[in-house]
Amino acid sequence: MMLGIDVGGTHTDAISIEGGEITASAKRVTRKKDLVVSIVDAVIGLGIDVARVKRVVLSTTLATNSIVENTLAPVGMVVSAGPGIDPREYFLNEDFYLVKGAIDHRGREYQGLSDREVVDAGRKLKARSIEGIGIVSKFSVRNPMHENRMHYLLANEFKYISMGHQMSGSLNFPRRLYTTYFNTAVMPLQHGFLKSVGDAFRDMGINADILILKADGGTITHDAAFRLPVETILSGPAASIMGAIALTGERRTALVLDIGGTTTDIGVLVKGVPLMQPQGVDMAGKKTLVRGLDLLSLGLAGDSTVVVEDGKIRIGPGRKGPPACLDGTSPTPTDALSVMGLFDKGERRRAEESFESIAQVLDKGVEEVARQVIRNFCQELKSAVTEFIDVLNSRPVYTIHDMIYPEFISPETVIVVGGPAGSFCSLMEDTFGIECKVPQYHEVANAIGACLARTTARITLVADTHLGKLICPELDIEKDIPGDYSPDDVKVFGMERLDELYRYLGMEDRPDIDVVEEQSFNMVRGFRTVGKNIRLRVQTRPGVLSLSRA
Amino acid sequence: MKALNKTGLIFFPAYDWEISPTHPERQERLLYTQDQIMEEGLLDIEGIHEFKAGFATEHDIQRVHFCVPDVASRITTSHNISAGGCIEAARHVLEGDVDKAFALVRPPGHHSMRVVHGARGFCNINIEAIMVEWIRRNYPRIKKIAIVDTDCHHGDGSQDIFWHDPRVLYISLHQDGRTLYPGSGFPNEFGGPNALGMTVNVPLPPRTSDRGFLFVIENLVLPILEEFKPDLVVNSAGQDNHYSDPITDMAFTARGYARLNEMLSPDICVLEGGYSIEAALPYVNTGIILALAGLDYSYLREPGLDTESIKEGQKILDYIARLTDNILDKWHNKERLRSEYYEGEAYVKRDKSIYYDTDGISESQTEEVRVCDKCPGVFKIDSQASTGYRILGIHIPWGACQECREKGLEWFNEAEGPYYGVYLQDMDADRYRVRLL
Repeated sequence: MMLGIDVGGTHTDAISIEGGEITASAKRVTRKKDLVVSIVDAVIGLGIDVARVKRVVLSTTLATNSIVENTLAPVGMVVSAGPGIDPREYFLNEDFYLVKGAIDHRGREYQGLSDREVVDAGRKLKARSIEGIGIVSKFSVRNPMHENRMHYLLANEFKYISMGHQMSGSLNFPRRLYTTYFNTAVMPLQHGFLKSVGDAFRDMGINADILILKADGGTITHDAAFRLPVETILSGPAASIMGAIALTGERRTALVLDIGGTTTDIGVLVKGVPLMQPQGVDMAGKKTLVRGLDLLSLGLAGDSTVVVEDGKIRIGPGRKGPPACLDGTSPTPTDALSVMGLFDKGERRRAEESFESIAQVLDKGVEEVARQVIRNFCQELKSAVTEFIDVLNSRPVYTIHDMIYPEFISPETVIVVGGPAGSFCSLMEDTFGIECKVPQYHEVANAIGACLARTTARITLVADTHLGKLICPELDIEKDIPGDYSPDDVKVFGMERLDELYRYLGMEDRPDIDVVEEQSFNMVRGFRTVGKNIRLRVQTRPGVLSLSRA
Repeated sequence: MKALNKTGLIFFPAYDWEISPTHPERQERLLYTQDQIMEEGLLDIEGIHEFKAGFATEHDIQRVHFCVPDVASRITTSHNISAGGCIEAARHVLEGDVDKAFALVRPPGHHSMRVVHGARGFCNINIEAIMVEWIRRNYPRIKKIAIVDTDCHHGDGSQDIFWHDPRVLYISLHQDGRTLYPGSGFPNEFGGPNALGMTVNVPLPPRTSDRGFLFVIENLVLPILEEFKPDLVVNSAGQDNHYSDPITDMAFTARGYARLNEMLSPDICVLEGGYSIEAALPYVNTGIILALAGLDYSYLREPGLDTESIKEGQKILDYIARLTDNILDKWHNKERLRSEYYEGEAYVKRDKSIYYDTDGISESQTEEVRVCDKCPGVFKIDSQASTGYRILGIHIPWGACQECREKGLEWFNEAEGPYYGVYLQDMDADRYRVRLL
């Protein structure tokens, strides 16, 4: 038996799957003060024989909340950058220390590190009773020698440490800085939480592998989540999108709408594979290198408040509580659906009453107002989605081949999940003019997505045969290579390492490996080819375990 | 961090195009520049936007060039996209999406002249000129355009294309032609009879460094721009004046390039040459982007730069000061010089021999322009290349007067003789015609 648990801001959803069947589901109000109790409550709510549980996947908003509410532990940052944009532009507070040292774009050191400066910075941070640090240098993904040296000098002094090159193999110094910062910042919280969940499960008699959902819709092991907690932030929206994939088995290009109370999240599947942010997700207004699904989040949802402004109906982006028909006070799109007879829960009379004042102002009937609200809702959603897709389709490309043969995203179907999904199906079909489906169990798609999500892993390799070096920053691999090392050699090596990593991280059969980036350049110096610069990025394809095999 | 000027970037490194496997204009050329831009996080800065490149159409190219025998046989898709990248940069500026834009594209274009028999100086078609004519066609409010070419090589192609155009001011700063390809670009090359002074050449001595370049910008380029009052300024941002460039002999730095762009404040930058792909381009391009965006670049410097050792001597600076004085003096006397040179002339002819170094083609040209007080003047080019092609190209300029227009059509309709074809560019009508003989 497998459990999926999604701890959301409002509700905690749990689901159990066994023998290819969804055997139970439960929804409990999230107790923000005690997430572990919320999780335990939801699992008890399933009413299952916990001894049979083999695997649990958790998706939580814990770290997200602490970032949003700014209750992070203080973090010291030790940074070497060298010339470029002044790195101090990116420093958040006095606990960021800049030290000497510079590495260039090919990973060659051109200014050494000063051990004394690094140790001094550590001493000052220590004096402020700071327990966690982040270590970052510019171009560390091309050569981590400065980060590794700083780590060596400081490791014994601090309880929590993160290094930039281990966060991601991507170039982007400012994002590396913030990713590393957040990773250390959420470590104490995450470590405490994971330990408590483990203890609570053991007390309940659950002796299962615990996996954590990441923002990219994949899972990582409990152990890996200790080291890279930053990856598990913002997993909530990913859970629903993965759930939509699990429930429909969609292999075409599709829009996924997760219509909730406060927001509607829109994701895109390209031939069944969820689309990722090109660089990384934003956290508390900072850009990071954390891989995450490319989502559009709109304050246009079931419980969005409807008001009249300058004679026009406006929906959201705020929420003042539940819909009027469900004991709320303000009119919402859900109330409009209720008036139109498309939503059968709650009291239709109260929904009608909630639109009376708007109807008066606009000098229209209540039903006409309700229809107008839904028309506006659909139109706003459509124009936001159209703009989102246009932006995706106008992303720059860098080769003539990609200019001539662009891969345009053009959705063939819409999948709607989330509480109010059922009422929206035919509306969405009319709005987008393509087939729309609302799968069974759509209201717990998030927990199902968590339950069935597969492990994801991605690594980056850069081989420079002129320098005779290959590097894979995520795995801390630096290797000497011969002058005739070829793109195929890099690929074979990369595939093997990814395979090993997957076996360490995941428990299932490895899914297909995608080569997401593959480039090889002849390095020409003085009209002579002196080597090859080869870049490769491989990942396991994000996806879900098939329900039938679960 | 927020850009003071909203800045657009069109980055098109053409990772699948090269002239030949070991040619300097190679696939790897912008690789390290992209690495630096990505690592600096330039595209994440608020107010800096990356846009997709586009395609220039055959018609966009025909506004500028007489491609022989035709456009399709003289270019590859990479040239369409490089010119299209410039057009996209211009579009985003003129539509107000951004204040400034940088087309970081390849292959380059400033050695391509109006008649194109092949590739010269790694260039097939002139990407800035195609952009300029596209701008004038689509945004008639832009009447006067200044191109400041800071590539180390004289932009003889751009000079040729705008030679007769009084509304396009072309200023080139380059290493003295006595010491470098293409061997032209002297102060006496000053524009055609109807546009005298609209071509300004500043041949700088080898080893000129930051002080020399910035002196010329401050004391020559800016005062001329001040008088010309362009509606749009374009910088042909070649980067081979860098001290590390392998095929030139200048000593400019990344911070110098940034300062130059800060002073010049161009609306659009277009990458031209620059083949120090590891030691210069990553830093120079970062500097230009920061300067365009109005951001601080004082922390930027090349690894291992020793400013003192590359500083130009006083003798060089004195020479540049004298050169600047002479050119400025000439510029202020351009009207007097025009009547001195061309008073009473109805037509002016010039003969040119052009060598296409990249393709090994020789061309000889006779160009004849009508001296006109009412418009930029119609002109025709009789061009014979070693490929065997001989053509007659006729250009009826923007705002052509009745007489020039009629003359141009007469030339076009009545031409006979040993030509493969007669070609006509009619700018106001936006029409390109070919009559094969």
